[in-house]
Amino acid sequence: MSATTLTLRRFNAVDVILWLLRIGVLLIVVIGTLATLIKARYTIAQWLDFVMFGLTIGSIYAQIALGYTMVYGVLRLINFAHGDIVMTGAFAGYFAAAGFDRSGLLESRPVLAMAGILLVAVLTSTCIAVLTERIAYRPFRRVQGLAPLICAIGVSFFLEQTFRGLFGSSVKSYPDPSWLRAAFVVFGFRIPRVDVLVIGLALVFMALLYMVVQRTRMGTAMRAVAEDAEAAALMGIDVNRVIVFTFMLGGVMAGIAGVFYAFLYKQVYFFMGFTPGIKAFGAAVLGGIGSIPGAMLGGFFLGMVESVGPTLFLDGIGIPAPYQLRDLIAFTLLIMVLIFRPQGILGERMARKRA
Amino acid sequence: MRNTARGLLAGLVTGLAASGVLLGVPPAMAATVGPVTDDIGVVRIAKGAPIQIGGYWVLSGPDTALGLDERRGVEIAMKDAGDSLLGHPLKLVAEDDGCNAEGGQTAATKLAANPQIVIVLGPACSSSNTPAAPILWQAGITDIDTAATAPALTAANRKPEYDGLVRTVFSDADQGKADAAYIFNVLKARRAVAMHDGSPYAQQLAAVFAANFKQLGGEVLSTEAVAPTDVDMHPVLTRIASEKPDVLYLPMFIAATAQILRQAKDTSGLEHTHMFGGSSLAAADFIEAAGPAVVGFQIGYPDLSPEAMGQGYPKFVEEYKKAYGEGPISGFHANAYDAATMAFKAIQAVAKTDDAGNLYIGRKALRDAVFATKFEGIAGPVACDPHGQCSQLKAAVFEFTSADPKTYGIGKNPKKVYPPSH
Repeated sequence: MSATTLTLRRFNAVDVILWLLRIGVLLIVVIGTLATLIKARYTIAQWLDFVMFGLTIGSIYAQIALGYTMVYGVLRLINFAHGDIVMTGAFAGYFAAAGFDRSGLLESRPVLAMAGILLVAVLTSTCIAVLTERIAYRPFRRVQGLAPLICAIGVSFFLEQTFRGLFGSSVKSYPDPSWLRAAFVVFGFRIPRVDVLVIGLALVFMALLYMVVQRTRMGTAMRAVAEDAEAAALMGIDVNRVIVFTFMLGGVMAGIAGVFYAFLYKQVYFFMGFTPGIKAFGAAVLGGIGSIPGAMLGGFFLGMVESVGPTLFLDGIGIPAPYQLRDLIAFTLLIMVLIFRPQGILGERMARKRA
Repeated sequence: MRNTARGLLAGLVTGLAASGVLLGVPPAMAATVGPVTDDIGVVRIAKGAPIQIGGYWVLSGPDTALGLDERRGVEIAMKDAGDSLLGHPLKLVAEDDGCNAEGGQTAATKLAANPQIVIVLGPACSSSNTPAAPILWQAGITDIDTAATAPALTAANRKPEYDGLVRTVFSDADQGKADAAYIFNVLKARRAVAMHDGSPYAQQLAAVFAANFKQLGGEVLSTEAVAPTDVDMHPVLTRIASEKPDVLYLPMFIAATAQILRQAKDTSGLEHTHMFGGSSLAAADFIEAAGPAVVGFQIGYPDLSPEAMGQGYPKFVEEYKKAYGEGPISGFHANAYDAATMAFKAIQAVAKTDDAGNLYIGRKALRDAVFATKFEGIAGPVACDPHGQCSQLKAAVFEFTSADPKTYGIGKNPKKVYPPSH
């Protein structure tokens, strides 16, 4: 009896703190938002800009997050090197882009040049992703504990330092073709063409990926392995092939994301994959790790919070330099979502397994 | 049993010594080695062994040119000294600090762990100098800073743990003031937004600028901040655009500044805002990173024209070109050269040789000798105030003229635009 009361009381204290945290964050969000809107410092066009910026970076996070979530789905492994695989794609794309830029092809035949750049980037990142699986992760497949995770971190360092050794540690700059600099004007609002391109193509590629996973035999096998690898193997599914295929899909998305990221922000260097990698991992957890639509949703959510959040929540309550707190806001909201829904927005309930 | 007790006692003593270290002052371990007695320790260099000079700069990442340029300045100074001092060869032990606090801490810890390091030169970044200087001074090592300009490092109220730090570079207390005067008086700007990346350098310089700009009668609309690794600057720029500033003052590092310049071009509302940056940006890598947006960008920078520099500077530049096949790649090579010269002079002043040819250098004596060293450096006169400030700023403004990194050269691209040459 007394033991039960004690346990109850302990739970209550934690609950109270958690509830206070939730109420506190919600209050800041609500009061801040209202105050910002009442102040009316920004025009509608500026708000639209904030949303567009958020969707653009969000679409990149979403594509990277897919790589994390698919690998986690089939292997229960957090592939920490995935951000660096994005970097390898961006680097390979850089060499193609710089070549096309010098020959004038990037200016005169944009579609052809972009297809070429994407192809080079995707081939590189896919090869590296598959090689990583074969050389580094497969020997750890049956190892319990943290060893596979540590191995993934090691692969991340290896890729970073290899690229640093090969191509130096300075920043390389993607070309800036004139057709990418233009902007669409819709109802008087200016929307940069590069944003539309990045978001649009990202949606197309993600839809394609979703079709592959849902409609093809390989996709079905992937889902079967994710659900229960042993049962899938007993049903005659070649688990190794499925895993290689998963890494391939992740590598393809990483290559595309790397090129888009580099066309948006221009700078490529050996360490560039780290931050977007961590953020995309956060997005994957937010959406529910293992869930493909969840990763996409999480990416867009994180991008939007990063872009709109500091202004919307903090401007109104008079906090100076709110963009310094961008990551804090994004990750606080991430924690909040996880407090309310530990399995992530679209994640499946784990409770059944635990019980 | 007795051994255990002795072990415990030894542990306690070590613990106490360690807690003394935590106070940030070198442990008082008056030592007499050979002919030298010193309050905090003596370095003994055996006959024929090298005199090891430590160094730490940013030698990787986007700001590499800044640090590498200084390391080259030191290397040339060593060559000019005939690669030897008092009959011992000179050896530079250089560490990479990545231009951040963690890197500074690691580099300083590595250098401090080497008992043969006589003195340390560098770094390039205040972010790494701030945690590193106390670590070095705890080990009794004097640090001559070659380009970290944050005002707090040599402020009158700096803490005793910084007693071992001097610098042969100006303080941003002067840079911020000069920038504010130029922006207010010459550009006639009245509404400014200051921006920093959270680093001690940028944060303190932005604050000094804001205070001086207000004092002149200008209005500082806000001080914004980003992270040095941020890439998406559009939201913060949109926010700044809503304040309609005349000038955006952004004394930050290469990666973030380049992103801001590029993205400001397509942020509506910033078309007429003048951009003004700081001295860490004069590098070919910055032109590469910022692309076409760099043209017309101005930076507050020390005046490197031959008439403003010390006498030996033109000869130094010739040597630099001969040794590395290119002109200086950033702006603080001359300060680094002077720092090395200062170290050599101080070592010569205090080192003692015994009959067997071994060399002895007292650490406290060396620190005092550094503070007392006065000479005409190639970047101007060197003489320290009691807080370790040994060089003064000769302010100028430089403007980038081309987006081609190959055209980089201080004086050409960026070109000096102020004060007007006569």
